[in-house]
Amino acid sequence: MDKAKIRVLIAKPGLDGHDRGAKVIARALRDSGMEVIYTGLRQSPEDIVEAAIQEDVHFIGLSILSGAHSHIFPKVIELLKENDAEDIKIIAGGIIPDQEIPKWKEIGIDAIFGPGTSTIDIIDYINRSVK
Amino acid sequence: MKPKDLIRKLKQGDVRAVARLLTLIENEDKAVESILKNIWPLTGNSYIIGITGPPGAGKSTLVDLLAKTAIENNLKIGILAVDPTSPFSGGAVLGDRLRMNSAQKSGIFIRSVASRGHLGGLTATTRFMINGLEMLGNDITLVETVGAGQGDVEIVKVADTTIVVEVPGLGDEVQAQKAGILEIGDILLVNKGDRPGADRLAKELKMMLSLGEHKEWTPPIITTTATKELGIEELWNQINNHKKYLENKEIDEIRLSKIKYDLENQLSQYLFTRKMIQIGENEIQNMAEKIFNREIDPFTAIEEMIKQ
Repeated sequence: MDKAKIRVLIAKPGLDGHDRGAKVIARALRDSGMEVIYTGLRQSPEDIVEAAIQEDVHFIGLSILSGAHSHIFPKVIELLKENDAEDIKIIAGGIIPDQEIPKWKEIGIDAIFGPGTSTIDIIDYINRSVK
Repeated sequence: MKPKDLIRKLKQGDVRAVARLLTLIENEDKAVESILKNIWPLTGNSYIIGITGPPGAGKSTLVDLLAKTAIENNLKIGILAVDPTSPFSGGAVLGDRLRMNSAQKSGIFIRSVASRGHLGGLTATTRFMINGLEMLGNDITLVETVGAGQGDVEIVKVADTTIVVEVPGLGDEVQAQKAGILEIGDILLVNKGDRPGADRLAKELKMMLSLGEHKEWTPPIITTTATKELGIEELWNQINNHKKYLENKEIDEIRLSKIKYDLENQLSQYLFTRKMIQIGENEIQNMAEKIFNREIDPFTAIEEMIKQ
């Protein structure tokens, strides 16, 4: 019997405290049968990568509204590389300017979901990538 | 990762390898057997502390404080925190890390575990997950159960020291008389000690203990206020007292009886599965129809199926 579950870490790095979006995503992923590890506010890239490795997740979901993504994205990618954990994929949401998206995808962000994205699309995306 | 590489890395205490092994164990993956066979002699070296109690009692916060205290005492810690799986979607939001900030900051290995439909407060694979975690060479394994009800007593079959956390405001003294979770505590803890009713709850627990038969180890009753870090030193001292008590009382014998209990469970599961496959779905369907038509009674049906 296959009991494997998709595991996703949802993290809220940076200093802004608006975690409603992250919580909505966490709940939606749960309701689609995934196991979601929610780590809370103000997590550093080091905390996030360490947690992702310990929890052996398929995806890290980063929710960033403050503009700190330009610092945090490269750092998380670098730390995953350092820890030989590049198989953990990164998805992101929040406020990421459209014109920047190609740049971030090129350096290793797997997908970016802006405001207004349906949770169903995110769930579909994750399900397709894991299979 | 191939099992061979995984085993090699596990023996080096590699964090990623341990995390992967835990995943394989909880998925009940076929590869687990050969890996556990290989590393079995290296496991069983940590002192296991279980923390259980109702949802919202403060278990995760207490685990965090215990982890912090352990670090101050130069001990290495691993944490397994179990949260419930949704019975509807099969998914789970695992939020215990949220309350384990100081443990997270000190790089302690924390693994959030979903119950995946298992009842009793733990998961079907907790015992082996503890063994997997022990490959990191930790002195102590802290196991936090699902927010537990009165019947969720499985932790006692796993932990060396079981801490039962209660909070004021959940019921009158009759609740304290009921069988179940309170009986399994080696340490009884009243958390949220700054709330009204905490003193009364502590007294009621004491009363409950004094009414029962006198045992060699009387569970101490400790009051803590985890959010203010009050009472943690006392808790730590009592854990050590219980550990010393067990060491004088032949801890090996107690651990052996727990392993025997696990083995019985595993064996019965194995025999059950093997026999069910041997009998086959068709035969069961066939017999059910005969019973329905009153051609045979259930007892004879079982006797005949077992004979096969």
